[in-house]
Amino acid sequence: MDVGLLSQYIMNGLMLGMMYTLVAVGFTLFFGVLDIIKFSHGDVLTVGAFTGLATYIGLRSVGVSSTPLLLLAVLVVAILAMAALGMLIARYLVLPLRSAPALNTLLITLMLGTVLREMVRLFYPQGANPKPFPALLPTDSINLGQFNLRLDNAIMLATGVAIIVGLRLLLNRTKLGLAIRAVAQDEETARTMGINFTAIVLITFAIGSALAAIGGVMNGLYYNEINFGMGLLLGVIGFSAAIIGGLGSIYGAILGGFLFAALQTIGAVALPFASAYKDVFAFTVVIALMAWRPTGLIQEKISERV
Amino acid sequence: MSGSERMPEVKQEPQAPLLPGVVAVALSTAYLIALLAVEKQPLVIGLLAFGIVAVLAAHYMDWLDPVSRSFAEREGMLSAYAILAACVVAAFFHDNHFVLLLFVTVLLYAVATLGLNIEFGYAGVLNFAGASFFGIGAYTSAVLNTYTAVPHLLVLLIGGTLAALIGSLLLLPVLRTRGHYAALVTIAFALLLKTFLEVNDVLGGPQGMQVKGMSILGWSFNDNFEIGKIEMSFYLNYFVISMLLLCGTFVLVRRLERSWIGLNLDAIRLDETAASCFGLDIARWKITAFVLGNFVIGLAGALFGMVGGFVAPNNYTFADSLIMVSILLLGGIGNPWGVVVATFIVVVLPEKLQTIQEYRFLLYALIVIVVLLFRPEGLLPRPVRRYFPGGRA
Amino acid sequence: MTYLLEARGLTRRFGGVVALDNLDLAVVPNEIIGLIGPNGSGKTTFFNVVTGIYGAHGGSVTFDGADITRASSRAVYHAGVSRTFQRSRLSLPLSIFDNIMIGNHKRLNQGLWFNLVRRGEFKREFEVNYAAARTLIEVFEPQLAERMLEPVAGLPMIDRRRIEICRALISQPKLLLLDEPSAGMTHDETKELMDDILQVRDLNRNLTIVIVEHEMGLIERITDRCVVLNFGRKIAEGPYRQVAVDRQVQEAYLGVE
Repeated sequence: MDVGLLSQYIMNGLMLGMMYTLVAVGFTLFFGVLDIIKFSHGDVLTVGAFTGLATYIGLRSVGVSSTPLLLLAVLVVAILAMAALGMLIARYLVLPLRSAPALNTLLITLMLGTVLREMVRLFYPQGANPKPFPALLPTDSINLGQFNLRLDNAIMLATGVAIIVGLRLLLNRTKLGLAIRAVAQDEETARTMGINFTAIVLITFAIGSALAAIGGVMNGLYYNEINFGMGLLLGVIGFSAAIIGGLGSIYGAILGGFLFAALQTIGAVALPFASAYKDVFAFTVVIALMAWRPTGLIQEKISERV
Repeated sequence: MSGSERMPEVKQEPQAPLLPGVVAVALSTAYLIALLAVEKQPLVIGLLAFGIVAVLAAHYMDWLDPVSRSFAEREGMLSAYAILAACVVAAFFHDNHFVLLLFVTVLLYAVATLGLNIEFGYAGVLNFAGASFFGIGAYTSAVLNTYTAVPHLLVLLIGGTLAALIGSLLLLPVLRTRGHYAALVTIAFALLLKTFLEVNDVLGGPQGMQVKGMSILGWSFNDNFEIGKIEMSFYLNYFVISMLLLCGTFVLVRRLERSWIGLNLDAIRLDETAASCFGLDIARWKITAFVLGNFVIGLAGALFGMVGGFVAPNNYTFADSLIMVSILLLGGIGNPWGVVVATFIVVVLPEKLQTIQEYRFLLYALIVIVVLLFRPEGLLPRPVRRYFPGGRA
Repeated sequence: MTYLLEARGLTRRFGGVVALDNLDLAVVPNEIIGLIGPNGSGKTTFFNVVTGIYGAHGGSVTFDGADITRASSRAVYHAGVSRTFQRSRLSLPLSIFDNIMIGNHKRLNQGLWFNLVRRGEFKREFEVNYAAARTLIEVFEPQLAERMLEPVAGLPMIDRRRIEICRALISQPKLLLLDEPSAGMTHDETKELMDDILQVRDLNRNLTIVIVEHEMGLIERITDRCVVLNFGRKIAEGPYRQVAVDRQVQEAYLGVE
């Protein structure tokens, strides 16, 4: 295979890995803080993408045409709206069920995901059809030998890296991050130390959902198209990525995200006859990994007291 | 103390009366016939409102307690009455293809959800691909009926077996992990199976395949027939076999729950660590539940394929699996009567209220959210295990 | 002397914490032995390693002549070891009878055909075991024997502990591990509970009991001797009166002056 094609595959893999990581980090944050699996995370990504699109259409219709401004607005609105949505979900659906069996939270978030997905499909104008997403990043490419580096991809990758680095800094270097980690370790002790548990939970959900919003917009910019079902598979992939990496570990989410993307890319190269099979291949490997290392490649946080 | 030879004297309580249960069955049957018969939307809405009000009123007048006690202790007799009631409904609509098809659909979905109940409700194995296994059964019918001459009853068994086998392959790797792993694996399977079916033209691709109707020993299930001078819809054939399947499954689920195996499943679901400290082989019982449950789901699916006459990937999606889970949660997880009642509600409602057809995924997801927040035990909560109800224990 | 249970050099770590540190502990058949020590000294971890919930990082555990160091929880149960848990682990939605029967797993017929098809024979086995469970719980609290089919969820803590102990006893184990059975109970309730345990032991002289406790009065009353742990190591051993005045034991509990 020639270098150009190889670089295309690698680029694609990196982009996918970045997007999966953004979703996986969300799952890991929610699990870390509350020991719950929020199955609606992928669909929050979808709603974020559609919110961004609606913002774009709205602003265009009142005459705004500056691309950077539009991009900024799309991101800001999507992020704020999803952060708010995340907090509402935490406040009204997840926190009330804390004393119920964990299964109930899993089920309620699964159903919530369906509600979000169906609401987009039913209530967004022609939501059942895929919608074109505007190209808000420069589409020129730099020629590096046999490989064309698209500027928009480069920018998105760089942004993704910046976000993850920023998140790590937030968690490890700030008081807020310390509070989040304290709550993730041991809720009771954190409370006795004066940390406002509810506030931290809401903030964590806001952060996770904001990441989903960014992931959704990124997805739209990369594929130039969004559809109501996009979050479902992304959510499942993000969740598996978080698991194989090790639930509760940010590094694990990153590792898992890129690992899954790599598997898909290998699958696509090895089985070119049907793109659906790359997903089957990737999931089969992931399931085998789960069987081999149930707590993840990096240790999952043990929460059961015997 | 003399030990185990002395039989304990448990005070014999008088058995709960049969009448409240019989009255409930009779009234429900009448209501169901009315609901199935009316067509005009305003009438349907009126009837539904009446039904809700009636149930709420009965609840506040404390009429529902005697009914549930009746069912708890006189289940055998009341089941017989329920079967009779179903036959009455079928007889009433004996020449109405649409209603009979709907009724048979309810019966087969109930069977499948009872299978899901064994996995989900008893053993606590999270299976979010129920509809996919149902579909595997249906596709088995399609393929075997089209390409082979395998007798149709055997086709049903093969459909069940295939679903059980594929399910086991899926579950074995994640048996020793936490519950959410099984959830993830089954969701991934549900999503990927649909894509797999769509890209495989051999299985009909997105359009699906036709399924030849059932025929046993030369009696074709797809021909209308006559009794005396009365014309009968051919769906009555399917009604009979579906009822047999439902009754068989109901008995299986009941006996399973009221046995040491049912106890094992509950123990595993509620506390795996403690269960293994008392000798339970977690993997063995989870697999048992999963194989049994999926076999039932596949069996129902195989029959459903023949009833409907065709199979397509779009009928067995992840959203459809979530509908099955919704039925389970709405009816009362672990309670087979709850499953039957909830199946009626979930399947019949969108057919009668045409306006909500489009919204049914949204609607049922919302209903389940409400149930989980305010009444997680469901409409008919599962009672404490009575190994031999109506008698000593 | 052959020991029923013997741990040699038993070690278990959790990350940086050494919960069991080269522990040597031997239990003589038919004795009631107390396992005491300050919080975090490894008592519950010892139970968890013996019953196969945690693996050992070093050393060995032998039970009734067989090496159970690497045995699963299931295998340990089948060998004849039963336990209760520090935070009472009963299945709350299930009935008293159901909870007790979970402990009886190895004596019940678990075959599919038996359970689903041979209902007549199943009924007979059910009746026999129902009677056995009743008889057992009557020793502890006759009133509970009349309420065997009630869910455990509504019962007070002392009744739940009783049911947990019955669950552990129903399979007629050789070794019973009691983990802080008196936690959450009043003084009188604790006394009642201990009298009941002694009564059970009188009926079944083959039973050996290891009891983890913080209530020293209880330990003094019913144990034949004690083992004291601190930081995962044995620091004293002997009858209660003797270890109570041991300097090292006092330091462990109260700190050094």
